[in-house]
Amino acid sequence: MQILAEAEDLPQTTNIRTQLVALWTSSVSALILLSAYIAFPGFWPPMSPKLTAGEVAAFYRDHTAWIRFSMVTFNLCGIMLLPFFCVVVVQMKRMAGQSLAFAYCYLSAAVSGATLFALADIFFGVAAFRPQREPDLIMLLNDMGWMVFIAPVGMIVAQNLMLAFAVYHDNGPNPVFPRWVGHLSLFTVLAMVPSACAAICTDGPLAWDGAVSFWLRNSAFAAFLVVMFCVVRAAIHRQAIEEGLAR
Amino acid sequence: MSTLVSSASGGDELEARPPTRASKRELWVVFWIFPIFFGLFGMVFVFLARVIPPPRPDVTTGQKVQWFAAHATTIQIGFAAVCVIFGGAAIANGYVAYQMKRMSSGSTFAYTYMGAMAVGTLPGLLLVVLCFLAATLRPDRRPPITGLLYDLGMLSFNGSLGCFSTGYLAFAIAILYDRNGIFPKWLAYASIWQIVTEVIATQMWVSPAGPYAWNGSIAFWVAVIIFGFWLNCQGLMLKMATDRQPAGSRPND
Repeated sequence: MQILAEAEDLPQTTNIRTQLVALWTSSVSALILLSAYIAFPGFWPPMSPKLTAGEVAAFYRDHTAWIRFSMVTFNLCGIMLLPFFCVVVVQMKRMAGQSLAFAYCYLSAAVSGATLFALADIFFGVAAFRPQREPDLIMLLNDMGWMVFIAPVGMIVAQNLMLAFAVYHDNGPNPVFPRWVGHLSLFTVLAMVPSACAAICTDGPLAWDGAVSFWLRNSAFAAFLVVMFCVVRAAIHRQAIEEGLAR
Repeated sequence: MSTLVSSASGGDELEARPPTRASKRELWVVFWIFPIFFGLFGMVFVFLARVIPPPRPDVTTGQKVQWFAAHATTIQIGFAAVCVIFGGAAIANGYVAYQMKRMSSGSTFAYTYMGAMAVGTLPGLLLVVLCFLAATLRPDRRPPITGLLYDLGMLSFNGSLGCFSTGYLAFAIAILYDRNGIFPKWLAYASIWQIVTEVIATQMWVSPAGPYAWNGSIAFWVAVIIFGFWLNCQGLMLKMATDRQPAGSRPND
């Protein structure tokens, strides 16, 4: 996108610029998060819920440094995804013929969901802080970390429902997001909902290391974020052109 | 503004409708999530998870373990469902905040309400879900650890006071100053009673038995009756506010 020379110093241009900065802040953070994700030994393969307390404690003893590195990184960068969700709110507020109710409910769910994202790494991190702790307590922290990370999908469900409804109700001549973004949001919800069972299953595809609860859920969410990054970037671009600030 | 083509597309009426004549369907979609979510929430917490009415605080560790064993299946079904639907709380609170933004008193307390309630969902709703799921996931955990999860779950659920007090205070003040009549003034006074019950509930942190305990006649039952009354009123008034909102209108940005 090329901001027009005469629009460089206009006040409206700053709104476009901050949205782009937010988008890139979150994307860089997402890449760093990906490195933390790759560095966490507990994901390769995902730790089985069937490990005994002794095995879990031994795992934290053997991989202390990498667990600490990945969890500190997760802690530092996890909430930097929030600017991205806030750009989505800003774009939702541009949708035609809307009362803004979906946008505010989306914001409310994004903030609430962020509190969970901020919590998961703390359980894993505390377990790695004193790996010589009693194995039963390490296992409790490990259980809590996994459950917070995988099972409570409700806020993503709420966010994506609001996004999908908003897209379907965006009835202006120039929709902010294409209609398929609504379908994509709903498909992501369908892919993520079964992982709520990770809090009650210790075996099979629904357990927190399973094909559905771990692999499908996390790949669906990652793919959704990547696609939404492109969609949101294009929407900001269209906004700049519609407001006569860019070509 | 571009000209709208209403005659060109014969099929989809939604696509062709000018933005200025928006329907109120989106408001009703969001509104109905409020009663549906709180209805499901009540059913899970009362009938499945057995958290309302609360299990006793004045029991031995062995009895806590037995309590989890007796209700494990229903706790797991109910709370796994909560993991999926608890975003309904964010939508319900977000919609209240949205209606508050239509008040003449401005957005300050609408944002306060949204922020306080969004944060309160974690300690006040989700922590008990996680603690009880962790306890039932492994029935063979050492009893003191299961006992800890019992206390942590119940005290976070019943004893999370500040987030909700802040939300209620914001709600009450915004209503009292509002001149647009979005919500009736008596709902503000009812909200203040909610704060009073939260203040009384502080006693459950020092009182493991009796009327001020987390299952006590005052700290729990008076509070939950006032909460039930208030929540129903808030839902009804939310419906009336939605009824009165003109189609196609939106609050100030």
